[in-house]
Amino acid sequence: MTVQIVKTPAEEALESAFAAMRDGLSGAAGDFAPALRDAAMATFRELGLPGRRVEEWKYTDLRGLLRDVPEPIRASGDTLSETDLYDVLGIDLDEFLAYRIVIADGAFAPELSHFEGTDALFQVLPLSEALANPPDWFREGFGKVNPPERDASLALNTAFMTDGVVIRIADGAKLDRPLHLVFITGSTRRGMVTNRNFISVGEGAAATILETYGARRTPDMLRNAVTEITLGHGAEVEHLKYQNEGRMGLHLSSWMAAIGPGARYRAFQFSIGAGLARNQIFTRFTGEGGEADVSGAFMVWDEQHADTTVVIDHAVPHCKSRALFKGVIDDKARGVVQGKIAVHPGAQKTDANLMAHGLMLSERAEFDAKPELEIYADDVVCGHGATTGELDEDMLFYLRARGLDVNQAQALLTVAFVGEALEKVECAPVREAFVARAAAWLGSDKS
Amino acid sequence: MAAVPETVEQVKDLSVDQYKYGFTTDIETVKAPKGLSEEVIRFISAKKDEPEWMLAWRLDAYERWKTMTEPRWACVHYPKIDFQDLYYYSAPKSTQGPKSLDEVDPELLRTYEKLGIPLEEQKVLAGVEGARVAVDAVFDSVSVVTTFKEELAKAGVIFCPMSEAVREHPDLVQKYLGSVVPKSDNFYAALNSAVFSDGSFVYVPEGVRCPMELSTYFRINEKQTGQFERTLIIADKGAYVSYLEGCTAPMRDENQLHAAVVELVALDDAEIKYSTVQNWYPGDKEGKGGVYNFVTKRGDCRGRNSKISWTQVETGSAITWKYPSCILRGDNSRGEFYSIAISNGHQQVDSGTKMIHLGRGTSSRIISKGISAGHSSNTYRGLVSAHRKAVGARNFTQCDSLLIGDQCSAHTVPYIEAKNAHAHFEHEATTSKISEDQLFYCMARGLDEEAAVALIVNGFVRDVLQHLPMEFMAETQKLIGISLEGSVG
Repeated sequence: MTVQIVKTPAEEALESAFAAMRDGLSGAAGDFAPALRDAAMATFRELGLPGRRVEEWKYTDLRGLLRDVPEPIRASGDTLSETDLYDVLGIDLDEFLAYRIVIADGAFAPELSHFEGTDALFQVLPLSEALANPPDWFREGFGKVNPPERDASLALNTAFMTDGVVIRIADGAKLDRPLHLVFITGSTRRGMVTNRNFISVGEGAAATILETYGARRTPDMLRNAVTEITLGHGAEVEHLKYQNEGRMGLHLSSWMAAIGPGARYRAFQFSIGAGLARNQIFTRFTGEGGEADVSGAFMVWDEQHADTTVVIDHAVPHCKSRALFKGVIDDKARGVVQGKIAVHPGAQKTDANLMAHGLMLSERAEFDAKPELEIYADDVVCGHGATTGELDEDMLFYLRARGLDVNQAQALLTVAFVGEALEKVECAPVREAFVARAAAWLGSDKS
Repeated sequence: MAAVPETVEQVKDLSVDQYKYGFTTDIETVKAPKGLSEEVIRFISAKKDEPEWMLAWRLDAYERWKTMTEPRWACVHYPKIDFQDLYYYSAPKSTQGPKSLDEVDPELLRTYEKLGIPLEEQKVLAGVEGARVAVDAVFDSVSVVTTFKEELAKAGVIFCPMSEAVREHPDLVQKYLGSVVPKSDNFYAALNSAVFSDGSFVYVPEGVRCPMELSTYFRINEKQTGQFERTLIIADKGAYVSYLEGCTAPMRDENQLHAAVVELVALDDAEIKYSTVQNWYPGDKEGKGGVYNFVTKRGDCRGRNSKISWTQVETGSAITWKYPSCILRGDNSRGEFYSIAISNGHQQVDSGTKMIHLGRGTSSRIISKGISAGHSSNTYRGLVSAHRKAVGARNFTQCDSLLIGDQCSAHTVPYIEAKNAHAHFEHEATTSKISEDQLFYCMARGLDEEAAVALIVNGFVRDVLQHLPMEFMAETQKLIGISLEGSVG
């Protein structure tokens, strides 16, 4: 018996929006982008929005939650200033010395970006340009960095992507400052933003890359952001993300990473915004001797829903991976951590470990975890763990007996709880900003 | 570590040589017509002399089954089953209601003797002094004999084949049958509800501690038959019962289907301990033949302070698909799941448990040990969930996998769902191979490699073994040794 699933209004809206926009999207005149977009839309038409019956989306029913689809946000260019950046991101940009590349309202904003004199280290292209006139290296690699199979959110991203950052870091380049990719909206109107980034890190190169997403003025934005990143032989990358978008919005994000031989990849995502945030991280070792740490933390309250879904593919032998996720859940919010370590046939000497911990601060909070191991090689050490619970009564009592009030005691223990994850961030200014943000969140500055 | 040549040879000769229960019994049988239809269901019901309500129940299940599709989410692969190419009922001709052991066909008695199952009440399990076990022996679709019935009856315990319970204790059956696993719970449960044949029925009345171990021994003999037993165990307030089931089947080239349903109900302060030693024919070294074991087992801790514990040792079957679960409904009720699943050859196991915390102060514990060898695949799939009202729910889960050889696989798929802040769940899992240091240590002390592996594996599964009834521990230890024989590498 074949069941014909009725298309939801959102699915129909996405399909008709695509039909209407197709010829106006970036790279429409070239020979590269349109074929990619059409193939992606065909995939989406087949898959539809993922709902509870799709195992990977079991806890995040996008089909049910996405009711309608707003118009894409159009780049207005002049609405944002440096002050806005500070307001929205909560990071003091004067203090944070970085090469900054800004995507405002879905389009590259050169006037807000600063990365002068770096040509020897890296090359930057707005995605819209790369799609229109793709360089060979972009054409070869784009869309092929560890893509998940049959993923509707990735298909939607490829179909609708407007702009983003394409970076090629030269072989052996050691970046003296972090690369700060800023994704921000200034529009007060509801809208859809689809970003796509492509980062190629050369052999032996070293970089810290921070992506920040903010949209305080666009409370109910629909963001779909994808970053593809490849690490060449022996490259070292710390890839960070801070997401603090409006609490009515939807934030879909996918990172796809391919880690070359002997490369070291450290990913960390800190997520406090968006009504519904789905953070997917797909990591794959493509050469022996690679190391990865894929971790994150989220803090949610009210009716927020934060889902972190991680897949680490040990496709080759002698690689090591660590993953640690911590979620703080207050009010009626819901946190989800799904992690999967897949050890492929022949990937001997794999050392992998994945942990997920949920801390519930309210009676009605919910935490779901699914730490999964899929192992096809015998000479491996793999482990996973998950815990969920509330703050320890004894610890609270201990602190209160020493004169702290309930709120202080709770805050101290909660900061300690997420702190264990935040400590993973090696870039000191970012780590300090995260810790400060976590403390402020507990001090009720939650947006 | 490189395998020694002899070991490699032994690995090649897996399963077939070690399966010692693969003989067939030549006995005349009465079968239902091949295939599944309303007529076949009426035939089964008539054979069992069932009341009208039972037939109606079956037919309703059949109607529901027809609208359902086979589950495909488990990590097992097999060709599509033709449900019309099976016999749904097969019984030895001679067992038209034997009253006592003397009336049982000697051929059947010989079968059970060969399997090492004591049917004569004066006999006891080999090697265990004074241990008495009441046995319900189910051969294909019927129960051939149930021992110690009278003695159990004196204590008020009802222990009889399901078909007898339907006739003799309709009130109890009607009250509890399908109350834990509803007719349309899943595809195979619906199929079972429509065509189930024998299984055991146990009722332990209020305050009674069942005086001996109860046990059912399942044997599939006939070709192309499916076994669809249904077991229902009810422990009334304050009662205690320990029950063990064992299963074997002959070696046949075609796959045999076993789709059982087991329902347990524990009322206030009652305790049910359910142990399984599953050793269905696993198929030959090429993965040909073997039993498809698609089983729904669920316990309902309906009363306060009730307790249900599942212990399973899974060494057989070509494919295992079973998740003995506990619904922790009563306040302070407790569920336990202890499992050893060993897969070798081309076996595929997808097994685990569900602990559904509904009541306050409920607790559960899951210890699962998966060992994969040969070309097998071994999956632990489990759910621990706490609902809004399950304040103070606690779970501890440990699921470890051990891989022997580089052609096998092990998966762990746990789901943890906490819907209230006062639930404390802890889950941990590891996967590894046998540590070379441990092996070296044992071998340096004079053990050969096989003995060293057996020792380490027995240590690995010890947490589970100790939960088996005393009488079966020794036997199980041997079984584990046999299953793993030749898998060192």
